[in-house]
Amino acid sequence: MNKMIVSKIRPVLKSHTGQWKLSFHLLWRNSLTRASLVTVIILVLLAVFAPLLATFPDHAGTATNPSAGLLAPSGTYLFGTDEQGRDIFSRVLFGTRISLGAAVISVGLALLIGIPLGAYAGAVGGWRDEVIMRVTDIFLSFPPLLLSIAIAALIGPSLQNAMLAIALSWWPWYTRLIRSQAISVKERQFVRAAQAAGAKPGWVIMRHIVPNCIAPVIVQASMDIGGVILTIASLSFLGLGAQAPSPEWGLMINTSRNYLLSAWWYSIFPGVAIFIAVLAFNLLGDGIREILDPKTRKL
Amino acid sequence: MRKTTKRIFILALAALLVISLAACGNRQSGAADARKIVYYAYNSEPILDWDPSVEFSNGIIVMHNIYETLLRYLPDEDAFEYVLATGYTQSADGLVWEFDIREGVKFHDGTVMNAEAVKFSFDRTIDMDEGAAFIWDSVEDIEVVGEYKLRITLDYAAPLDLVVASGYAAFVMSPTAVTSNDDDWLSSGNVAGTGPYTVRSSIHGEEVVLEAFKDYWGGWDGNRTELAIIRKVPETASRRQLIESGEATFILQVTPEDHAALRGADGITVREETSYQNLLLFFNNQKAPLDDPEVRRALSYAFPYSDVINHIMAGEATQGRGIIPHGLWGHGSDIYQYQYDLDKAKEMLAAAGHPDGGFTLTATYTAGDEPQRRSLELFASELAKLGVTLEIRGMPWDSQWEAAKTSPDRAQDIFVMYWWPDYASPFSWLLNLFYTEDDTLFNMSYFSDPRVDDLIDEGNVLSGVDRNAGAAAFIEAQKIIMDAAAVIPMYDQHYVRIYRDNFKGYKDNPSYPSVVFFYETYIE
Repeated sequence: MNKMIVSKIRPVLKSHTGQWKLSFHLLWRNSLTRASLVTVIILVLLAVFAPLLATFPDHAGTATNPSAGLLAPSGTYLFGTDEQGRDIFSRVLFGTRISLGAAVISVGLALLIGIPLGAYAGAVGGWRDEVIMRVTDIFLSFPPLLLSIAIAALIGPSLQNAMLAIALSWWPWYTRLIRSQAISVKERQFVRAAQAAGAKPGWVIMRHIVPNCIAPVIVQASMDIGGVILTIASLSFLGLGAQAPSPEWGLMINTSRNYLLSAWWYSIFPGVAIFIAVLAFNLLGDGIREILDPKTRKL
Repeated sequence: MRKTTKRIFILALAALLVISLAACGNRQSGAADARKIVYYAYNSEPILDWDPSVEFSNGIIVMHNIYETLLRYLPDEDAFEYVLATGYTQSADGLVWEFDIREGVKFHDGTVMNAEAVKFSFDRTIDMDEGAAFIWDSVEDIEVVGEYKLRITLDYAAPLDLVVASGYAAFVMSPTAVTSNDDDWLSSGNVAGTGPYTVRSSIHGEEVVLEAFKDYWGGWDGNRTELAIIRKVPETASRRQLIESGEATFILQVTPEDHAALRGADGITVREETSYQNLLLFFNNQKAPLDDPEVRRALSYAFPYSDVINHIMAGEATQGRGIIPHGLWGHGSDIYQYQYDLDKAKEMLAAAGHPDGGFTLTATYTAGDEPQRRSLELFASELAKLGVTLEIRGMPWDSQWEAAKTSPDRAQDIFVMYWWPDYASPFSWLLNLFYTEDDTLFNMSYFSDPRVDDLIDEGNVLSGVDRNAGAAAFIEAQKIIMDAAAVIPMYDQHYVRIYRDNFKGYKDNPSYPSVVFFYETYIE
């Protein structure tokens, strides 16, 4: 159909680096995915360079400036100020760090719980598999946000606990995914060979099974980042996540409710930030899924 | 661009509000003349316990319209209004009090109110010993000496006229209704008082609708509110919208920024009134490093008093001096008042062995209370300059209180709380907040000093006969407490009352905080 692209791709299909290039190319080809990829990269850069870009870096911490409370956006305060006179622009910037960081850590923790359990369940099978899968069923029977709220409320409100709560309600998804992969991988020749060579079961799972079924889990995890950002913001909004004076977006929106009628800028900017971040990650996730799904993948 | 965004935003919000109000519906339509209906938008649950002997919280705003006390205290004139009593005498030693009980008063259940009923009510409250029952501590015996005459004998002299005018635990209820029903009949939402209103309907934790009690002894001639709706509207912005649209007649507590906007609005009255409510920051006096008075004093110099008053409260508050708020007897004008002085704080902290701070404190406040959160945040930013980290946690009131009641070494380092009087006396603050407690109830600084205990007892006894002598003892106690820097009296609040211009007859009475005596009001 499209000779240009086909001819470009074919020669590089041979090596591993070629696969990465191909994936990137496919991502880049869809304009929506391209835009979301650029946005995500910008968000990461903003998070990394927040201290350099922020006009009032100390306003993201404990500093206050009460005499400049609730000023409308201006040259000095690009997004206006909050009720304590802090620069909302700087706070939203630093909020990027918190949201992205917390989302990555939560998903990472969930992977850390989910991957070994799933791989173990898939590899050993039998009653152990049964027990682990029934436990995941129990967790999956609750809506993830509700479960996170319950756990966060139980262990006390803080950002760390919110991340833990999210990890604890998210891991079963990864467990199931990796288990289904592990079941097929464990029958493959190289696994049999390793077992025949006398490798211990733990070694087989960690060295042979996990590396060969991790790819879809990583993809799933990257697609979840958007949802996790939203969950963290929701928990903070409900008072179960980050605590004042943290510049967490959800917390800022919660605080801004009281000033909704006198300071529109206060709730708008953190809200827009959440909107952009979640949209970008979700679109990127959609793009990745499209590439991986043979039905939607168009070469 | 900016204006359009704002307009769209407000439009969207208004649409949301309309939808939610439409969803609530107007259950009261067609009940009374619309001009006799008052809607009070309250910020929290209107009532927690329907039992008049027990309720010791928000319910004050409901109870005083259903139940009555013998007297009502009028702090402006330092006088009493006769309600269910028509007169009283007190013996020279302050130990024997005689009350003439009003004749011709009927309870909501139709029975007649007399001295016997008053005795029954007070005895019940004392025996149940819940809520604010401690106000009767001085009472030795209550006897009926005539159909409409009651004699109360005290153990020690106490200002019993203030006690019977208390905002809590001094209500008169129908003995017939209470004894002929189950024990939980009252707490499950039934009423049997003498007040001008009965309950038409209520939704637990959300709403109370009061309607006129036709046989009220005061009569119903003239313009009077006949139906009062008290509804919980937790969102500050919603309360402001309700008063702006004219939907609500009276709203409680919005932000100072809103006050400024509402002052200029048509048809709305915004009035600043004195209050007996103050905001106190309790140091945990029994847990290191705050067990050292020198550290507490240092931190007292680091609190940004004027920033809090000028910027958070927009001037609608006064810095506290001692524990007792301005305007109430027992307030001492010569009690030491700490001022913001960071250099001094730094020096004192160094002298106490913490040259660069280096410790972390946890502070809790009632989640959703903006002035509390903002004050703590300002405090945290000053403490950060001393190298002290203040972690701030907003918690539901119950959990915050539970945490403080565990034990001093496990409790939070800093606890923030308002206090308003059960009855208009300094005794309310000092007894509840600073008297040595074995089991913590409200002594949130875990303060304990036998000298202060003695002075509180002494002040209470003296004020039964000579209020000035009592006040002197109470002031002495406050001097010791402030020297120990057990608490930071952040500010004495001014109440800002917001209501529609056509709402007439409302008088603020700080001894019954936020209570609207609907009977005295009407819509013009």
